[in-house]
Amino acid sequence: MDAHRSIDAVWKLESARIVAGLTRLVHDVGLAEEMAQDALVAALEQWPEAGVPDNPGAWLMTVAKRRAIDHLRRSRRLDELDETTEAETAAVAEAEPEQDDVLRLMFLSCHPVLPAPARVALTLRLLGGLTTAEIARAFLLSEPKIAQRVATAKRTLAEERVPFDLPGPAELAGRLSSVLEVIYLIFNEGYSATSGDDLLRPGLTLEALRLGRLLARLAPGEAEVHGLVALMEIQESRSAARTGPSGEPIQLHQQNRGRWDRLLIRRGFTAMLRAREAGGKPGPYVLQAAIAVCHAQARTAEDTDWRQIATLYDALVRLLPTPIVQLNRAVAYGRAHGPAAGLAMADALLSDPSLQDYHLLPGVRGDLLAELGRDDEARLEFQRAAALTRNAAERAFLLRRADGLPAGGAPVLTLAEAAEDFLARDTLDAQTVRSYGQTLRRLRSTLGDQLPLATLTADQLTRVCTTAWGESAAKTWNRHRSALRSFAAWAGMHDIAAGLERRAETRQRTPPMAPAELEALWSGDQPLRERTLWRLLHESGAGVRTVLSLDIEHLDLDDRRAQAGGTWVTWRSGTARLLPQLLDGRTRGPLFLADRRPGPARTPAAADLCPETGRRRLSYERAEYLFKQATRPLDPAGRGFTLRQLKPR
Amino acid sequence: MRYLMMSNPTGETTNPNLEAEMGAWIEELTASGVLLATGGLAPTGIEVRESDGEVTVTDGPFAEAKESVAGFALVEVRTEEEVVELARRFVKMVGNSRSVIQQVFA
Repeated sequence: MDAHRSIDAVWKLESARIVAGLTRLVHDVGLAEEMAQDALVAALEQWPEAGVPDNPGAWLMTVAKRRAIDHLRRSRRLDELDETTEAETAAVAEAEPEQDDVLRLMFLSCHPVLPAPARVALTLRLLGGLTTAEIARAFLLSEPKIAQRVATAKRTLAEERVPFDLPGPAELAGRLSSVLEVIYLIFNEGYSATSGDDLLRPGLTLEALRLGRLLARLAPGEAEVHGLVALMEIQESRSAARTGPSGEPIQLHQQNRGRWDRLLIRRGFTAMLRAREAGGKPGPYVLQAAIAVCHAQARTAEDTDWRQIATLYDALVRLLPTPIVQLNRAVAYGRAHGPAAGLAMADALLSDPSLQDYHLLPGVRGDLLAELGRDDEARLEFQRAAALTRNAAERAFLLRRADGLPAGGAPVLTLAEAAEDFLARDTLDAQTVRSYGQTLRRLRSTLGDQLPLATLTADQLTRVCTTAWGESAAKTWNRHRSALRSFAAWAGMHDIAAGLERRAETRQRTPPMAPAELEALWSGDQPLRERTLWRLLHESGAGVRTVLSLDIEHLDLDDRRAQAGGTWVTWRSGTARLLPQLLDGRTRGPLFLADRRPGPARTPAAADLCPETGRRRLSYERAEYLFKQATRPLDPAGRGFTLRQLKPR
Repeated sequence: MRYLMMSNPTGETTNPNLEAEMGAWIEELTASGVLLATGGLAPTGIEVRESDGEVTVTDGPFAEAKESVAGFALVEVRTEEEVVELARRFVKMVGNSRSVIQQVFA
């Protein structure tokens, strides 16, 4: 067998302990990993010749420790005054691996100072021993992206001086829940791949199970840890039965229970017993595991104790009132108390903005509607779910479910067709088409392309509008509202948009810049054109567009004024000092010019082109951008100001 | 990937501390989530055989001791190399033994 591959295997088995042990010695996880990697390189050089040692972990640890001592000696030479280093070196030479090192490493790599994706990547890297390439493959991300994520995470830990120790009792629960969350995130990504062609990515579930089992061993007194392990073991026990021959998902109640892995189920039950022994009030993982146990105990789908499951979901919803948990509760209620009860719960979630693009909501509604015999609505929901999922196997499955329902009557005009006809009218200009298109896309994705237009109700329209734009600014709301009204009017259904109230647009006047901010602006080191423009805007109080439209011919430098359109723009000494420099011999054309000449494909109107330099008039957008960039350091909010704010108070 | 490791001792063990080492190792493998199940097998066995419609049942022991499986371990690993590495450590620890590894499909 290839020596390199067997070294890779040794590394995966041993790296967590080596990195953990070293981190305790050198107090820097990045450095520790580097040293461990150095030891790995040494192994790659020596083992193919000398053979794999009897205890490869101890071999690697010895070599890595030697690197650590070298490092400490070197840093001592750099800093002779530091007396602690000699003691440290001795400590490193003596140190034995500690039982808790790996647990400490887990707490470190799941530390809340890191964003969740960084925690996941770092944990897989340090505790799973996975290479950057393997993590990248598992998450369908590029290798540099993962490498960067891991490097940034290590740096953050060092910069924030996150200590390598176990959290005290007061902190433990919070820190532990962060570790559990990371493990479950890894498991879920493997269990129900959010994107890609495969429904399962087994490598990741296995990795998460391994981490969970490890954690359960390291923190045996924590009920939630055992709860999570139980949950993952039982979910994993179904993996063989979850997909059909062509990779399509098979729902729990249709799975062949003979294919469930009894070994994993038994391990799950054992973990659940441990969780009960650990005691305390059941937390979210224990409750979810209890639900999984209910399913695992049922010999057939019909034997499932749905009432018990519905009760457990009631408890779970109190601890974890997420829309997803509520949706699952709707499913449980549908089974325990009939599809109508479930549908009522699912319908209540329709106005939750966080679920508006989540494919499982229409999927669940489709199931419940089909059970109620409302086939037309069910078909629509399955089609909509298919359009929303990013997973190819799931999409195919949902479309098959839609097709499997008895076909409706004669073909009718669907929402999608109506929307396209509406937008295809040649009376609309491009900008209106774009704006209306945005509104109608949302309508279609929320209600389904295949919805017969005739069945569209005022309630549905209002719901889409409030869910999607209820929180946005009045201006946005009104824009979408008028698009919908226009669509309804075109379709001859005036009354359905009647429920949408126009909202008063309160114009938020942004306050002008404060004197101190202006002072800082004037004293800054800015290009002449910008300084002149800003001074002029401030001294004249004129509109930005008006000032930008000024031509040199209109300027009356002596009287400090210029005629623009029908109005006069006047200025004072500050601008007057700058203007002659800006003109610099030019006598015609736009006052404020862009930095470059326009490209060959863009020919501006003659009036916007400087006859002397060939450059075009400075655009509002560009001027605004430059100002925002320049004033960002002055703005306490860090956004930068707008030119309008230059107006005098 | 799941593998079944079956071991047959081929003579006297050469390791006097075997029990303690094995205990520690099993604990470690369980902790790291690798070891799913393990067990020892009695050397006696019953053979059930079918030949042209006739079923014969024979009480053991019926084979050479070195051919019978003495114990098994069901492990979950990422690669074949990993299970080979585990088996290598195992036979080193036991001394004078032989292990056969077969992948288990769900």
